[in-house]
Amino acid sequence: MTHPNPASAIEITGLTKDFSLNLRGIKLRAVENLTLNIPEGQVFGLLGPNGSGKSTTIKIILGLLEPTVGECKVFGVPSGRVDSRLNVGYLPEAPYFYRYLSGTELVRFYGRICGVPRKQLDDRVREVIDWVGLSAAAHRRVGTYSKGMLQRIGLAQALVHDPRLIILDEPTAGVDPVGSAEISELIQKLKAQGKTVLITSHLLAQIEDICDRVAILDRGKLILEGAVDDLVGLRDRQSLIVDSLPPAELDELRGWLAARGHVLNAVEQPRTRLDQLFLSKVSRPKKEGDSR
Amino acid sequence: MNTAFPFPLAGRPVPFSPGRLGIVAGNTFLEAVRQKLFNFLLLLAVALVASAQLFREFNFGSSELKFISDFGFGAMVFFGSTLTIAATAQLFFSEIENRTALTILAKPIWRTEFIFGKFLGVFAVVGVFCALTTLLLLALLYQRETALMNANPEAFEHGRIIHYGDLVLMGVLQWLKFGVLAAITLLIASFSNTNLYTVVMGFFVLVICHLQYLARDAYGQVASLPLRLLVRMLGYVFPNFQVFNLADQIGIGEGIDPGIFLRVAGYALIYIAVIGGLAVYSFRNREI
Ligand SMILES: Nc1ncnc2c1ncn2[C@@H]1O[C@H](COP(=O)(O)OP(=O)(O)OP(=O)(O)O)[C@@H](O)[C@H]1O
Ligand SMILES: [Mg+2]
Repeated sequence: MTHPNPASAIEITGLTKDFSLNLRGIKLRAVENLTLNIPEGQVFGLLGPNGSGKSTTIKIILGLLEPTVGECKVFGVPSGRVDSRLNVGYLPEAPYFYRYLSGTELVRFYGRICGVPRKQLDDRVREVIDWVGLSAAAHRRVGTYSKGMLQRIGLAQALVHDPRLIILDEPTAGVDPVGSAEISELIQKLKAQGKTVLITSHLLAQIEDICDRVAILDRGKLILEGAVDDLVGLRDRQSLIVDSLPPAELDELRGWLAARGHVLNAVEQPRTRLDQLFLSKVSRPKKEGDSR
Repeated sequence: MNTAFPFPLAGRPVPFSPGRLGIVAGNTFLEAVRQKLFNFLLLLAVALVASAQLFREFNFGSSELKFISDFGFGAMVFFGSTLTIAATAQLFFSEIENRTALTILAKPIWRTEFIFGKFLGVFAVVGVFCALTTLLLLALLYQRETALMNANPEAFEHGRIIHYGDLVLMGVLQWLKFGVLAAITLLIASFSNTNLYTVVMGFFVLVICHLQYLARDAYGQVASLPLRLLVRMLGYVFPNFQVFNLADQIGIGEGIDPGIFLRVAGYALIYIAVIGGLAVYSFRNREI
């Protein structure tokens, strides 16, 4: 899954960000000496507890905040320059949009700002809205949307100009498990199209499923970075799942293993994951926005 | 998803685009319309019509018409200033507080386009306000003048006494003045943290702009040198809103000199450009 030497979509070098809290010069260091390389074509997870500097890092990538020290480049262009954002789609955390526009109008507005050609605009808007499953609610005012619907329309506006890099700040916050599984699928599709995705989330199971690489921030510092398979795979263990064995046969198996110098480390009752159970029981709405 | 856009790669310069500026302006105007900002025009219309009815009994012809015209423009200045300051602050801070500024500024757009787009949106809102108020005033005056002419023909032996064209010019000048005020409010908003602070400061500056000529008249000659310099300075920094009142008797009596009209319009446009530029500069350094 890791490319030999892929080009970087985002290159952050020695980045530090201080916020001044008051006029007496007391500062809060939100990000400290962060160096991070996000390769093109991968799904990259940025993790960390609340207040660890994830959103701040993202805002610096987008040129919404100026770094105090260090630099950040998007596709080789210093962020802060307008052209660095040409190929970037962004979904902010807890998004909130122009309440007085309808879903379609909103996505159209952002499409026009991004310079989507007029001839393709209407088709494109319909396409992305359908893609995020909001077609049924597309003509309602955004002010009437639920939290999950806001995330979806936010996703649509981030994708309307078909960017190469998509930055999603907690896209699943407030979204129900079905919706969040759909968002996972969407991200997989984006990856299949060769897009780069930078995502933050507190749903670690989801991150584990969809990300190629992750980085963990803690109080503004990078404490761990690497490919997910390397980080969580236990290479010296294997699990075999069999039908329930009566105690006698289990002892026999233990003996068989011991004779070959292996140890049976644990005998557990495997459980389905709650999210999988939920997904198998709950009906998946057929892309109808107002059903949630 | 199979639309493949021939999208430019990063690294291609993004030129300043009047089109994008227009999109922001259009959206700002649409917000004002859908938030029903124009409803308060109704209030103004009622006040104007009612006051014109109240002063029926004078019946001296020109003095009654003068009253309606003065009162109309007075109301226009009062309501218009309030609308300008409140709408500018509101339309700017709704972007900041709802964090929609975050989403839009993460797109390939210049902050200059954003700020001037906001300005133009507000300017259009105020323009609609001025146009409708002027129209209403003209209609009121015309109707009253016709009635007075019929009742009292000898007072109007030289025909109609109201210069309707001048009234329109006055309406345009008020609009330009509100443009300067909107630019000032936007400048204040660009660095302040709250809507309320912006509105209060906006009114404060409005008062200075209206009254600075008094200070110049009072202290310009007699006071000590430092005070005189201070008053001078104020005169350069703050636009003088008194220059927008071209005539004492609006629309009645002497006409408006087109040369002066153009000069005053130029005065307003220069202030709008300079103050707008300052607002962009200050907004560029703002952390969203
Ligand atoms: N504009 C600001 N002014 C002052 N401090 C700020 C500002 N924005 C963020 N911070 C501080 O910077 C730190 C990092 O915040 P950030 O929003 O990046 O965290 P996060 O990792 O995104 O957290 P969460 O998981 O809660 O979204 C926090 O301590 C926060 O209080
Ligand atoms: Mg965050």
